[in-house]
Amino acid sequence: MTFARDSYRTVVVGAGIVGLFTAYHLARAGGGPILVVDRGFLSSGASGRNGGGVRQQWETRGTVRLARESVQAYRRFGLEFGFNIWFRQSGYLFLAENASELARLRNVHALVASEGLPSKVLDANGVARLVDGIAPGAAVGGTYLESDGTLYPFPALWGVFEAVRSLGVEVALGVEVLGVETRNGRIAGVLTSKGTVATPTVVNAAGGWSGDLSRRSGLEVPNVATRHEILATEAMNPFLDPMVVRVSDGLYFSQSMRGEIIGGLTLPHPPGTSGGLGSSPVFLTTMARALVGLLPRLGAVGVLRAWSGFYDDTPDGFPVIGEDPRLPGFVHGNGFGGHGFMLAPATARRIALAALGQPTDLDPAQFSPIRFRAPTPATTVERLQLG
Amino acid sequence: MVGEPDRRFSFRGRPRSARDGETLLSALSRDGLPLLHRSIQYHRPQGPYCGIGHCAGCLVRVNGRPNVRACRYEPASGDIVTTENAWPSPTWDLLGAIGLVKPGGVDSQHGLRRPAVATPLYQRFVRWLAGTGAPPTDAASRALSAPPVERFSEVVVIGAGETGRALTAALVARDLRPVVLDRGLHPPSLAGAELLGATTVVFLPPPTAAGLRPFTLLAFREPGQGVRITARSVVVATGSYDTLLLFGGNDRPGVVTADAALSLTAPQHSPPFHQAVVVGGGHRAAQLLATCGDAIAAVVAPGEIRPEVVRAASDRGILLYPRSLVLRANGRKHVRSVRLRARGTGTETTIACDAVVLAHRRIPHAQLFFQAGATMEWRSGVGAYGPTVGADGATSVPGLFAAGSAADVPSSELGRHAEAVAEAVVRGAGPTGPALSPPRDDTPTELLGYYRELLHVPGHGRWVACPCVDALVSEVERASRSGYRGIEVVKRYTSLGSGICQGRYCLPEALLLLSILEGRSPPEVGYITQRPPVVPVPLAALASLPASPPSEVPP
Repeated sequence: MTFARDSYRTVVVGAGIVGLFTAYHLARAGGGPILVVDRGFLSSGASGRNGGGVRQQWETRGTVRLARESVQAYRRFGLEFGFNIWFRQSGYLFLAENASELARLRNVHALVASEGLPSKVLDANGVARLVDGIAPGAAVGGTYLESDGTLYPFPALWGVFEAVRSLGVEVALGVEVLGVETRNGRIAGVLTSKGTVATPTVVNAAGGWSGDLSRRSGLEVPNVATRHEILATEAMNPFLDPMVVRVSDGLYFSQSMRGEIIGGLTLPHPPGTSGGLGSSPVFLTTMARALVGLLPRLGAVGVLRAWSGFYDDTPDGFPVIGEDPRLPGFVHGNGFGGHGFMLAPATARRIALAALGQPTDLDPAQFSPIRFRAPTPATTVERLQLG
Repeated sequence: MVGEPDRRFSFRGRPRSARDGETLLSALSRDGLPLLHRSIQYHRPQGPYCGIGHCAGCLVRVNGRPNVRACRYEPASGDIVTTENAWPSPTWDLLGAIGLVKPGGVDSQHGLRRPAVATPLYQRFVRWLAGTGAPPTDAASRALSAPPVERFSEVVVIGAGETGRALTAALVARDLRPVVLDRGLHPPSLAGAELLGATTVVFLPPPTAAGLRPFTLLAFREPGQGVRITARSVVVATGSYDTLLLFGGNDRPGVVTADAALSLTAPQHSPPFHQAVVVGGGHRAAQLLATCGDAIAAVVAPGEIRPEVVRAASDRGILLYPRSLVLRANGRKHVRSVRLRARGTGTETTIACDAVVLAHRRIPHAQLFFQAGATMEWRSGVGAYGPTVGADGATSVPGLFAAGSAADVPSSELGRHAEAVAEAVVRGAGPTGPALSPPRDDTPTELLGYYRELLHVPGHGRWVACPCVDALVSEVERASRSGYRGIEVVKRYTSLGSGICQGRYCLPEALLLLSILEGRSPPEVGYITQRPPVVPVPLAALASLPASPPSEVPP
C-alpha cells in the first residue's frame, strides 16, 4: 500500500515550493483530498538548490506585482508557518557595465517605481558604497531596491511541508509520475511508479521535469530544462549586504546569514534533464574569474562546494499558470525559469484557483498555457531572467 | 628534513619559531595540542582533530588570509599568524557564553521569529556573529597569483602512499610516465614519474566522452596554485582515514584521530600528549602503541581487543578496557579525563588523560569515486561506502581504477594488486577484468550495536554530530521525529555536512545514527552527493585556470 486512498480531488506533481504552496492554498480552500507526489526527496529539486534571492525588479508589470505580493507573504512566513526563513531585506543591486545596460536598468527602475516600490538608480560611486572593495571601473552604475532580499529556502520548504501535512494533505516522496490517464478527453487519473490513483485534476508543478510531464501527457509545450550551476564559499564576517547581479553575464552573488558567498552565473548548457545534475570545471573556473574580477579581495577565499539545479525555461520568460484547455483537468504551475521561489507564494494562490476551476486575475496573454500557440509571437517578454 | 628552528614568525603577537619543513600546527604543538579555534555557532573550544587537512580545528589567519589550515602550512619567516572566530582569544572567548546559556543548542529553524518587528534586529545580531573571520585583505588575495599547472598524461596516479608508489613503479616498468599527485607537503620523489606534492585533487568529474583523454581533473597545490590535468586513465590510491566517534565532548581539544596523533608524532617529534586514552582495539591501535606507546595510558575498545594489542599493552603496563562505551570527554578547554561504561555490566570508570585518540575505524576516502560517478557499494565491515571494483581495480567507469585500501585490498597483497592494476591500465579503458564484485561482506556494522546502546545515555542529544557547523545529535533526532527521512534531507534540515570538511567526519556517523532512528539499513538511508571541491580551493587558484576545455592532444 503506497497511497492512503484510491482517488483524490487533486494530485499535485512536484513537492517543491510551488507544488507545496499550491497544495496549501487548495487545502485551505477545502479542495481535498489532495496528494502531492515527488520523484525525489524533499528539497531535491530546484527549491533546495537555489540561491535564496527574492526580488521585485522585473521588466514587466505583471511579474513585478506577483513578486511584490510574494515579498509580503515571505515577511509573514515566520508567524504563519512557524519556521524562521531568515528573510533579510537588504536589497538587490543590478550592475550595468556600460551605458546601454544602464539605460535598460533605468527602464526597469521606472516601471518598478511606478508600482510604488522605492527603487533607486545608482552611479558608480553609489555602487561602490554598497559593494565594499569592488574593482575600479567594474560598473558604471546600477539599480537598487532595498526591499528585495534573500531567504533560506530550506526552512521555507519545511514550513509549508509541515503545514500541508497538518491540513491533511498526503505527501508521497520518491514516487515518479509516469503519465496521466484520460477519459472523454479529461484527466481521470495519474500513473505512478507506485501504482495508479484516480483524480479529476492534476497540477504540473514539476519544475525542471514539468516539460517532460506535459509532453508525456500528450501536450506540446515549449518548456525547456536548463542546468544552472552555483557555488558557496567559506564563511566570512559580513561585509556585503545586497544580492549583486550583473546584467551582462548573469553573475549573481550574496553573502548569506552564515557568511558564505553564494552565487552563480549563466553558462550555455545542453538543454534537458537527461544529462543529470552535477558541476563542471568550466563553471568553477569561470565563476571564480568573474567573482575575483569584480571583488579582487575574494581571491584568498576558499570555494567550499558547488552544485547545480534545473531552471524550467519558457520562450517569453513568463511562467505557465492555468488549466490547459487542450486537456481539461490538467493545470500548469511551471515554467518559472529559475524564479519559482521568488514568485511561489503569489502564483501558487492562483494555480490553486485554477485547479478549483475558478478565474484568476492573471493576463492570459502573459501566463496562459496556450499563449505559445498564438499566430504572432508574444510582444511582451520578460528578459530579466538573471539571479 | 626537519632541522633547527630558523623560521621566525609571530603568533597572536608573540614571537615563535618553526624548523625547516615543519608545519605551523606542529610548531604550535610543542607544549601539547594548542587551542586555536572556537566552534562556529556556540563558540565551544574546538581542537584540531584530523591532522590531515580537513577539520576546522586548526584554522588560523596568516598574513591576512583567513581559514589557513595550520596542519597544511609551513610558516615562513616574518609571517603574522592570528586566530579567528574568538573574542578576545580562543582560550578566553566571551562568545562562548552562547553555548553555556543554551547548552541544548539554539533552534535557528523555529526560534527568533517573534515579534515580527524585531526580526531585523535578530538578523543583524546573528549576522554579526557569522563567519569564521574577517574577509581576506587585498594583499593576501593578490599574493595568490601563481601561474597554473597544466598537464596531459596517459595516466594519473592520485596518492603517493605505499599503494601509489607500488603502482607507479609497476606503471613505469610498463614504459608509462605517470603524473603522480600527493597531498603530502614533501613526498619523497618517484623514479620515472612526475610527482606533484602538496597537491589535492578536488574535482574528478565523470569522463566527458570516450576520447583520447576523457578525464579532466582539477587539483589545488598549496598554498594557492590551480592545477588541471587531462588523462586517459586515473588510478585513485587515496587510502583511508580515521573517523570520529559520537560521545560527549567529542570535539574538545585533545580528542584527536589516530591520523592526527601519528602525523604530529612523526617523524622526529614526541607525541603532543603524555597520557592518552586510545579508542580501538585493532590494527590501528597496535600502530599507535608501536609509535607512541610511552605516552598511552589506556586502550578502550567498543568491542574486543586484539591479542597483539593486548600483548603490546601489557608489556608497557597500559590498562585495557574492552567492550566499553565512551560516554564523554571531561574538561572544557582540554580533555582531562574520559568517562567509560562497560558494555554488559554497566560499571562506569573515569580515566585521567590528556588526549583521546580515536583509532577504532578507518574508512576509504570515497569522494572522488562518488564524483566520477562510479558504482559504489556499502562495505558493512567498516560501515562505509567504497567503489565496486574488479580484481584489476577497474571501477564501473571506464578508465577509472581504485587501488589499495580504496579497493579494499589488504596491504599484504599490495604488490600483486599493483601489477594487476598497472596491467589493466596498459590494456586500456573498459573493465575487461573479472566481473565487478558484488558486495563482499554483509556482516552488520559493529558500530551500529554500539550506537544503539549509546543512544540510551541521558544527555546524548547535546553531543556534537557535526563539529564544523555545530549540529547536535538532538537536531538529527528532531528531524527524524518530524518525518524527514533519508540522509539527504536530514543533511539539509540540520546543515550537518555543509561545513568546511564537507561531511567527511560527520556523515559516516550520521549515516549509522539515522539507520538506527529510521529502522532501516545505512544504504537505504542513502548517501550524500559528493560536491566539488574535495577541499576548499581559493577563488584565485580556480580563476587562474583556463576557462576553455583542454584540447584532446597536448600542445
